[in-house]
Amino acid sequence: MSTSPSAVAPATASERAPRPARQPRAGRTRRLVTQLGAVALAFLVWWVASFTLPIGVMPSPVATFVRLGALASVPEFWAAFGTTVATFAAALAFCTVVGIPLGLAIGSSSFATQSTRLVFDFLRTIPPIAILPLVLLTIGANFQMVLTLTILGAIWPILIQSIYAARQGEALLVEMATSYQVPRGWFIRHIFFPGALPFVMTGLRIGTTICLLLTITGELLGGAPGLGFEIADAQAFYDNERMYAYVIVSAALGLLVNAGFYALQRRLLRWHPSVRREDAR
Amino acid sequence: MNKRLLRDLGLEIWLPIVLVVVWWFASASSTSFYFPPLSKIMESFAADWLDPTQAFDNLLPSLALLGMGYGLALVSGVVIGTLFGLVTPLEEAARPVLEFLRAIPGVALLPVFIVLFGIDQPMKVLLIAFGSFWPVFLNTVDGVRGIEPLLLDVAGVFRLGRARRLFSIILPGASPQIFAGARTALAISLIIMVVAETVGGSGGVGYFLLDAQRNFRVQSMWGAIIALGILGYLLNIAFRIIERLVLRWHRLQQARLESNS
Repeated sequence: MSTSPSAVAPATASERAPRPARQPRAGRTRRLVTQLGAVALAFLVWWVASFTLPIGVMPSPVATFVRLGALASVPEFWAAFGTTVATFAAALAFCTVVGIPLGLAIGSSSFATQSTRLVFDFLRTIPPIAILPLVLLTIGANFQMVLTLTILGAIWPILIQSIYAARQGEALLVEMATSYQVPRGWFIRHIFFPGALPFVMTGLRIGTTICLLLTITGELLGGAPGLGFEIADAQAFYDNERMYAYVIVSAALGLLVNAGFYALQRRLLRWHPSVRREDAR
Repeated sequence: MNKRLLRDLGLEIWLPIVLVVVWWFASASSTSFYFPPLSKIMESFAADWLDPTQAFDNLLPSLALLGMGYGLALVSGVVIGTLFGLVTPLEEAARPVLEFLRAIPGVALLPVFIVLFGIDQPMKVLLIAFGSFWPVFLNTVDGVRGIEPLLLDVAGVFRLGRARRLFSIILPGASPQIFAGARTALAISLIIMVVAETVGGSGGVGYFLLDAQRNFRVQSMWGAIIALGILGYLLNIAFRIIERLVLRWHRLQQARLESNS
């Protein structure tokens, strides 16, 4: 299990000693100040770069954010934003609803796991972007094309990690359940799911990142409507302020998605040592 | 033992064979422009990817690009990650900025990188490195921080120097996590490599795909998909071999722990 792409730190036997539940206030304030300082420093670097680099390469942060504010009052902006969010959400929902149950089912049978291993390993390693030209020609430059591309790229980590998750039941617990002859439903609910969840979450996290990456990529390279298209369009018109503004919006979207995922993970894995340890930190 | 091995092999291989055979016969009489017969796909696959001169033209630029970009991401990710993992105040202060940079979908930066660095090799290397830096960096930070405190205490008692501590305790201890990050980074760098190669005309798999798309050479597209799948698969196997070699001690330790419990 150590070689798996597991983001959830393996639970070590030696849990950290319990720490004071809350950080001292002074420490938190200091951290906030240093963080604000780092953000300010980043803006300073950007600002300095904007007038030391050749003209037209990098707009100043002020100009970019003014432009961003102007964009926010234009309906086209919200249309692009909405399309990207909708595509991303639909693709992720599909991958989750299909990938996790299918993966857990396959993983519960060693025959199915072994039989499908090569096929899934191969499909996973095809860079999803390779099929972009094909879906672009067959479907066209639209929402459905991006959705297809994203699903075909993002489902593999979720599926494969779920297969893996189903096989990670703690051997001791499984043995104990067998010898105590616990009912099947109880076993699935209290032993199988909690054991699989951390690994499913890892797959979901990788899948989420890939989903957003592919949504933007499909729009940017495929010319389908959305944030990615707006970035490419701004570049085509040498409109750097607009381009940077849209890159910032994509990053903000990524930030939002990461934060949402983090909150979900903390909620679902409250009991898991990796989350408990972070609380103590 | 041998029998078991054979049975395992059979279990792994039957479905791929069935699928390929089904594909072959189901598509044999296909007249669809977009879904040509598998036999035709294999023809163009052989012409584009098995003929040495053609294969070199298509693959070498890509592999060189991937090697440089991925290599840069690995080195910078581990070095900076170790630094940030050891100096907690630094990591805490930089966290908001890093979270923001990490959240940028790598490909969205393509136009920005074109404006900043041009359309040649350096831009492509930097784009790949930027995109695949984050998994390596974040996992290194986590790995370095997750080092068993007892080990560091012992190192302190034995008065190990900084360098010894770094190379014999911290980096080996973090290496399982670093490898997990490096594996994700490999997949990401493959994606960005193909994307970056669609810019400019310096050859490579991405350029080949774009060219095939522009000229509606559907068979070549299918061939390239298969070639990229094989390339990715081989890279993964190479990665796994290296990982097994480097993390040998870790596996042995894990096995020992398990047999004790």
